[in-house]
Amino acid sequence: MASRELEVVHSPQVETPPSRGPLSAFLDRLIGPFHRGEAPERKPAMGFYTDTTVCIGCKACEVACKQWNQLPADGFAWTGNSYDNTGELSATSWRHVKFVEQFADNQPPEPTGNGRVSLHVLPDQPHDVRWLMMSDVCKHCVAAPCQQACPTGAIIHNEFANVYIQPDICNGCGYCVAACPFGVITRSTLSGHAHKCTLCYDRQKDGLVPACAKACPTASIQFGPIDELRERARRRVEELHRRGVPGARMYGSAPTETYTELHSFYLLVDRPEVYGLPEAPFNPWLHMLGDYFRTAIAGAVTLAVPLAAFLLWGA
Amino acid sequence: MQTKTNLPSPTGYAGIVTKPPEWHTLVVFDILFNNLTTGLFLVAAVGELAAPATFTPVATWAYPVALALLLADFACLVLDLGDSLRFHHMLRVFKPSSPMSLGTWSLTVYSLLLTAIVAVEFVAAAGWVPGDSAAAWWIRTLAVVVGLPFAFGSAAYKGVLFSTTAQPGWKDARWLGAYLVNTAVTLGAAELLVIAALTGEQLAVDTLRLAVGLLIVLNLVALALLVGDLYPLLSRLYARREFGVAGLFVLLTGVVIPASSLLAGGVPVTASVAVASLILASLGVRFAIVRLPHDAT
Repeated sequence: MASRELEVVHSPQVETPPSRGPLSAFLDRLIGPFHRGEAPERKPAMGFYTDTTVCIGCKACEVACKQWNQLPADGFAWTGNSYDNTGELSATSWRHVKFVEQFADNQPPEPTGNGRVSLHVLPDQPHDVRWLMMSDVCKHCVAAPCQQACPTGAIIHNEFANVYIQPDICNGCGYCVAACPFGVITRSTLSGHAHKCTLCYDRQKDGLVPACAKACPTASIQFGPIDELRERARRRVEELHRRGVPGARMYGSAPTETYTELHSFYLLVDRPEVYGLPEAPFNPWLHMLGDYFRTAIAGAVTLAVPLAAFLLWGA
Repeated sequence: MQTKTNLPSPTGYAGIVTKPPEWHTLVVFDILFNNLTTGLFLVAAVGELAAPATFTPVATWAYPVALALLLADFACLVLDLGDSLRFHHMLRVFKPSSPMSLGTWSLTVYSLLLTAIVAVEFVAAAGWVPGDSAAAWWIRTLAVVVGLPFAFGSAAYKGVLFSTTAQPGWKDARWLGAYLVNTAVTLGAAELLVIAALTGEQLAVDTLRLAVGLLIVLNLVALALLVGDLYPLLSRLYARREFGVAGLFVLLTGVVIPASSLLAGGVPVTASVAVASLILASLGVRFAIVRLPHDAT
């Protein structure tokens, strides 16, 4: 695969178009977004399967994502409470390794006055402590609320059935941010546009594995055709159950009553909330028709009041 | 196993995982101006079509006011975008699954028809065509009739836009759309009352005083339904005292002051006090609604 990447680097570069006048540039800006290309041929659905049981929290995925997608650094600051110094997914962090520390019998150490935990009060018995790590990313929902919300058509399902934001179309209305039940999409303070994981669309088009999956040293992040990944995950859960991990479960590999399956799904060993995932994600669009109906009825009843007054007393 | 606090949230990663959008004061004013323009148009159009002799002279003044309010709404809408120069990208697609897309198209058609009405009125007022020209009258009436459903759509989409999200509070607000469209009509009737009082149309004033009074009561019902939806979150976020103060504010500005002003008479001053008080109440409620997800997270 590495040689393929070198080939991509050395492939012919696109020539810069000659500069044009301001009127032409203005018209391009005005009319350009309305031009439609041909939709690419549909490919097998691709996605991520993240096995959190083998994540070691190395953050290679975060680094690889930032490097490939040329995302700026977010600064470097310790929270004082964890090795998680990324905090959350953002417009410039499309991968985020979560660190969850759990204690069986001992109470977790109390932070001192400045909100930090002293290393001297960490428990003496390592077996009482469990660290869960999870590399979080956009879930690439099959019916994605962000895509349903987007009024410009900037958010699409691409030929690999991944949720993709067309950066030249997004106008930063922020509706996708409000619609996402996982808190993934963020509007950039620099460009004003919404950003999130593209599932390395550019690499996929060239037949390459997404940067994070490529960099993951433990195969915690696996990439491939979604059906194969689901089968692989199912076998892994069975294996973990046999090996005495009864809490092993899949998250997002199958649809629920309130949400479709995810094209980026997880193997967890605790409740989803522990990892910062909603226990039962809900697609807000399930309410939409009912809300319109209530609004229409209320509007009609309200308008009937002045209408009646005008007909009875105003004529 | 017990999970340690490892992020600013006291429950670690558990808790509310959604991110509130960067919607703040501009959005509050966007909702307000949206309600003011669509409500005024709706009530003026219904009045003009139901009782033309009484309401056409008032509606003639109402449409330019509605257009000015619509322009203010557009300014808020455009400026609130992350990239304002791309506002026209909203018109790339018509997507009924997106309340924002449906609202954009409703507003676009409504704005074109409202502009046409005002243009016809302007042309007639300037004497370029006779004011009683049949063609001009037909164009204007057609634009008023066709504009009704689009003005209604423009008023109705906003609440559904908020309730069709994953944000705490908004996602539970099943009656938000109903409340906003109800407020739009109430505000519109109050605005028309001011215009009628200013133009001295006494029959219109008397009729509108009655209509606004009834609408204020209906608005209280819609607000109660909305608060019922939001109560679990509101009671968690705010202390009983804060809740009481907010309730008192809304009751005073949304009911007591406007109702007293209506009872005091139908002169421009009392009508203006009533509409100003209603706008104040609307602003308060809209501020509270827009900040809900920010307070919850």
